[in-house]
Amino acid sequence: MLLAHVRDIYFQAVWALRDNLMRTLLSILGIFIGIIAVMAVGTVTQTVHNFVFTELASYGLQTIWIYRQHEAPNPYSTVRTGSGITNLDLEQIQKGCCPAVARVSPEVYYQDWSQLFRFGNRYNNVILEGVDGVFFDISRDEFTIGRNFRDEDIDNRRNVAIIGSEVHKTLIGEHQNPVGKSIRFGEQKFIVVGVLKRKNRDFLASIGAAEDYDVNNKIYIPYTVHQQMLASKDIHQLLIESRSVAETQNAVDQVVELLQRRNNNHFQYKWDTMESWNTKANNILSNISLLGLVAAFVSLLVGGVGIMNIMTTSVVERTREIGIRKAIGATQNDIRLQFILEAVVISTLGGSFGLGVGYILSIVAQHMLQIPLQPPWMIIIAAFLVSIGVGLASGYYPAKRAARLKPVEALRHD
Amino acid sequence: MIELINVSKAYGSDELSVPVLKDVCLSIPKGDFIAIMGPSGSGKSTLLNIIGCLDSLDAGVYQLGRQRVDLLDEDELTQLRLRHMGFVFQMFNLIPRFNALRNVELPMIYAGMQPQQRIQKAVAALSRVGLQDRLNHIPAKLSGGQQQRVAIARALVNDPDIIIADEPTGSLDTKTGHEIMKLFQTLNRHGKTIVMVTHEDNIAAYAQRVAHMRDGVITDIVRH
Ligand SMILES: Nc1ncnc2c1ncn2[C@@H]1O[C@H](COP(=O)(O)OP(=O)(O)OP(=O)(O)O)[C@@H](O)[C@H]1O
Ligand SMILES: [Mg+2]
Repeated sequence: MLLAHVRDIYFQAVWALRDNLMRTLLSILGIFIGIIAVMAVGTVTQTVHNFVFTELASYGLQTIWIYRQHEAPNPYSTVRTGSGITNLDLEQIQKGCCPAVARVSPEVYYQDWSQLFRFGNRYNNVILEGVDGVFFDISRDEFTIGRNFRDEDIDNRRNVAIIGSEVHKTLIGEHQNPVGKSIRFGEQKFIVVGVLKRKNRDFLASIGAAEDYDVNNKIYIPYTVHQQMLASKDIHQLLIESRSVAETQNAVDQVVELLQRRNNNHFQYKWDTMESWNTKANNILSNISLLGLVAAFVSLLVGGVGIMNIMTTSVVERTREIGIRKAIGATQNDIRLQFILEAVVISTLGGSFGLGVGYILSIVAQHMLQIPLQPPWMIIIAAFLVSIGVGLASGYYPAKRAARLKPVEALRHD
Repeated sequence: MIELINVSKAYGSDELSVPVLKDVCLSIPKGDFIAIMGPSGSGKSTLLNIIGCLDSLDAGVYQLGRQRVDLLDEDELTQLRLRHMGFVFQMFNLIPRFNALRNVELPMIYAGMQPQQRIQKAVAALSRVGLQDRLNHIPAKLSGGQQQRVAIARALVNDPDIIIADEPTGSLDTKTGHEIMKLFQTLNRHGKTIVMVTHEDNIAAYAQRVAHMRDGVITDIVRH
């Protein structure tokens, strides 16, 4: 068939659509909604995805936590006290005994999370933790003001503190530079040397990967100082960074083996890895996105069924017209082509409007929510192509029916 | 050039089939103007539709020029209609949403003609039937006679040899009917073969020959 002829038939299709404007708009709406749904679901899941992985990556994907597992009390065995990790164990790891470990930092804390700190005459509950300077490297913390712990802070047990942004805000006051100020904890006095940049932990907290407290409401002091306050050489948790994400399990195995050996197999150890949280997050999110996308594509198909429905009605209503066209020389191909083109024009228009309006909506939403939205263009283009395919498929059957009408019978129809 | 030999046609399923045409033989030479008359239900329209290649026959031979029409498939019949037939119906059968020009243009679209040529020819055809100042009117804005003229213009535009007309004056008043018949006579004088069904004697009087039908059989043919 000549291109010029296809163009002529195309205009017949467009005129027919224009002359039934209301019906055309309604069937366009079906595809339009389908595309908008795919865009909305795709954009939301993609944006959440990025949001979550930015958060995870901000904690370092090679991060591992190892701590003693406190087994249930057993009357037949003597319960051993202690954290199961000592400064000597830490030294061994720091020396490079565990080749898969890149860096390690101790964490020392009270049984109770919340501790009362004072600044001037203001009191505030914060979370106190004893660490060293490596801690902030591993946990990818940045300093908005001040500095990290130095070796001499740790070695000489200096009463210095690094505070989270929330502590800055609520205990010291946002408009004051806290560096050099002293804060009090019981009898102890600490000089603030650094303030940490605010961090998000919403997602990790929501899937149980982190305790439900504000990470920004923390005060860090040298672990050596904390141990002195506790009068113990215990380390409650090791924060470890493996050499690579792939080495995570090796690092866990090596450290646990070292700890068990050095503590005469008295203790069991547990660990968490960011990699496992990452995998978990990935699974959750892909399931959600898949579900959403399936729903959205189903609505696209429903739009297609709408087109088929309307095209079928249209064929019945235009039976006489089809008879006239056939009588004056339209071939079966001409008729079939016209009806398929009508369906494809509807779905393409619906798809294009959907893309355009969806794009504008995403920009508006971006401005209103102040979040960078990430429309997944691959999926959206796929949805657009699917919508055209849906148009073709849903136009095919009514078009075939129209093409097969016998001219005499069609002409007798009224 | 139209030659029907023992053409039969029945409607309905095998057992309940009702014969509508029974061994009809009819020969229409080129340039003829023949009217078919007969009581309602006698099979006039059925015969005309077969001649116009709109309908198939059950038995018999239909020879159009050198072609055996009864052996052709649907698309081949469509090509025959496109090249050789122009249709004028009692109910005009215009496309209601299209103006006169678009209606007349339509057969040329299916014939694959260029847009410019289509418009020129459509305007010329509408001028020929006296509607040069009604080009942009949709059928609803035209009188019955004017609508039938648009239909005639549409029937002529691909330059067919044969005009097939089923009660072309059936929906028109007497005066308009006679005008349409004068148009037919002119066309016939210019060489078009016309096959027309009518109920009215004074309309049939414009034809060169009148065939009378009864119960699916041609009973006699009268020459004027
Ligand atoms: N599609 C059909 N199915 C069944 N019967 C049909 C069909 N078309 C026509 N008939 C029957 O065939 C017979 C002839 O019909 P036809 O339309 O040819 O008559 P006609 O002579 O044109 O009548 P009229 O003057 O009323 O137009 C009628 O009895 C009609 O009922
Ligand atoms: Mg009839």
